Amino acid sequence: MKHVPVLAFLLPLAAQAQLALFSMNGSTEVPIGAALDIGKVAAGDTFSVRIRVRNTGSSKADITRFSADGTGFTLDRPSLPFPLAPGSAQDVLLSFSASMPALYSANLQVNTPVNSVSAIVLATVVAGPVLTVFPACTGSDGPPASIDFGRVQASQARLCNFYLRNAGTQEMTIANFRVTGSGFQISTGPKAPFKIAAGDTAAFVITFSANAAGLYTGALAIETRTYVLTGAVFDTPLPKPLLEFDAGPIQSAQQRRLTMRLPTAALVSVSGIVNLAFLPDTTIVADDPAIVFLATGTRSLPFSVIQGSTQILINNGTSALFQTGTSSGRIRFTISGVSTDGDPTTTLTVPASPVSIDTATAARRTGNLDIALIGFDNTYSAGSMTFTFLDTSGGTLPPGAIRADFTPEFRAFFTKVFAGSTFQVRISFPVTGDTSGIGSVDVQMNNSAGVKAQHLVFQ
Amino acid sequence: MRSTLFIFWSLCVYAQSGIQVPAVGAMVDSSGKLRPVQGVAGNFWLGSATISEVLSASCSERLCLAKTDSKILSATGETDAPSGPAIFSVGAAEAIVYFPESRTFARWHDDTLDALDWMVDGEVLSIAAAGIAVRKNDGVWIVRPDGAVIDWVTDTPGPVLLLAEGVLFATPVEIILRRRNVSDVRFGLTGAESMTALGAHYAAIRVGALTYALRTEGGREQLFLLPGDAP
Repeated sequence: MKHVPVLAFLLPLAAQAQLALFSMNGSTEVPIGAALDIGKVAAGDTFSVRIRVRNTGSSKADITRFSADGTGFTLDRPSLPFPLAPGSAQDVLLSFSASMPALYSANLQVNTPVNSVSAIVLATVVAGPVLTVFPACTGSDGPPASIDFGRVQASQARLCNFYLRNAGTQEMTIANFRVTGSGFQISTGPKAPFKIAAGDTAAFVITFSANAAGLYTGALAIETRTYVLTGAVFDTPLPKPLLEFDAGPIQSAQQRRLTMRLPTAALVSVSGIVNLAFLPDTTIVADDPAIVFLATGTRSLPFSVIQGSTQILINNGTSALFQTGTSSGRIRFTISGVSTDGDPTTTLTVPASPVSIDTATAARRTGNLDIALIGFDNTYSAGSMTFTFLDTSGGTLPPGAIRADFTPEFRAFFTKVFAGSTFQVRISFPVTGDTSGIGSVDVQMNNSAGVKAQHLVFQ
Repeated sequence: MRSTLFIFWSLCVYAQSGIQVPAVGAMVDSSGKLRPVQGVAGNFWLGSATISEVLSASCSERLCLAKTDSKILSATGETDAPSGPAIFSVGAAEAIVYFPESRTFARWHDDTLDALDWMVDGEVLSIAAAGIAVRKNDGVWIVRPDGAVIDWVTDTPGPVLLLAEGVLFATPVEIILRRRNVSDVRFGLTGAESMTALGAHYAAIRVGALTYALRTEGGREQLFLLPGDAP
């Protein structure tokens, strides 16, 4: 029975303790005690801190007051009143700015109809150093204050000169002076801590450099101030590569050699891809699959050049062999994966030509004379043929020239088989009687580019 | 009687078509797959892989044989064979095969192997109708199946391939095609590791991951690079 009065006294206290104040460090709640010291703030700068009020009780809290009363302090919060459910929280932004060096304070207070919490907020305004940035870098007061290093070639450096001036009347100690961020570093200047006499300046240089293209950000921290550093790196344009080929006219069914070089030495080591593509003259086929780089059987090869060299290595070799195929058209060589100072695209024209015969034979078979031809027609128009059989003395046998037109068969073959214009064909002539007197045959194959004549002796 | 020519003609039926893609032969690619080689001189491409885990292969105009670890495969079937690679001399319908691991010879025909009692000393490099190329201490010799010496070829340490009419061999820096009564034909090529019959008129020469095709017809000799293994 003696405990009842004590419990009756504690219950109201528990109800009153349902609000808690925190300052936020990222996502971490840091309890605010009786006072919150936000530290030094440079004169004229604005310092902001996120404040959180949390309802730690078991009943809803209606926030009727949420204020920071004090010179230089402002609070960015929801309109009042606003409810706060049990366990939930509300963040507000407490900002401070003043131009006169002094100690400033404010009363941070949160009220509900039944409860309130408060804390004292302290800020010390100090005379900050004045930062001056010289071209080619540019500065912005922001917010956030920033310094842009501009666009820089990969592996090249951009140096920015700075002055840090003590505009105050007393010696200034710079305890916090550092640069962070990939690509940025202080290359010349004092090391913290250092002092700047009243009215004096300290010079320093920040260097920005990176090997890979992209956007870079960093930070320059000077005492209470932080400046965002930005810079962009772009790949160094390669002097326009010269694509060159071994001597001799380009024709079908050739294996040719591609070499690449630079007109001037490369400023940096780079690598890329050399590609070839083919556009046939004909509409019968869309491509010629034999037109490839031979080392890999593909249409792309890696290339590289080292800094200071004009020699471009293709697939780790000094040159690359490729096939010209069996179709007239244009073979186009392009570069990708690296920026170049001009378009190096180079086009080879494979001219239309009469039918080319790689192998031809004439043979006797019982009841037949067989003519076998292996070759290609890079115009895709072959089919018209003439055969003139000759006796062993070279005299023309009747009926003389025999004309045949296999154009539909060739056309059907070329469109069905994705093999360029190569073909292997055997033409058989039924014959009766003694064939020993047939000594040879003159074969003519016509296409849109001309006539191919072949004299074959029967075996 | 004087022959009579009809003015009719016909395209000979090769398979289903009167016109075909020219076939050069077959080669073993760098992944051990047998790939048909098609096209004409200077314009080659590789067909789709037909057999995997191929150790050796050789082709004539009409016949291609491939050796896996335990079998010899042809277009018509397969037969068990001694393990390891093989050296072929492929004809129109038959072949002589040498198995280096067992140092035995056999005759292949109709997907059947008949053992041969041939005995030769030295390292067998190549087989042809003209004889057997064998490397001995004093160079490469051509010998008969009974071991009798026919001719001396070279003292090169590189590969050797006997052809129907001549011999092809590699020095460390070049390929030499030698025929009787004809000047040698030479091609600059460093590091030849092996030579096989790619087809009736071509030899396949392997240099690292690259395979070259050497046209061996008299008067038309030329060295080409075959496309890489890209499908």
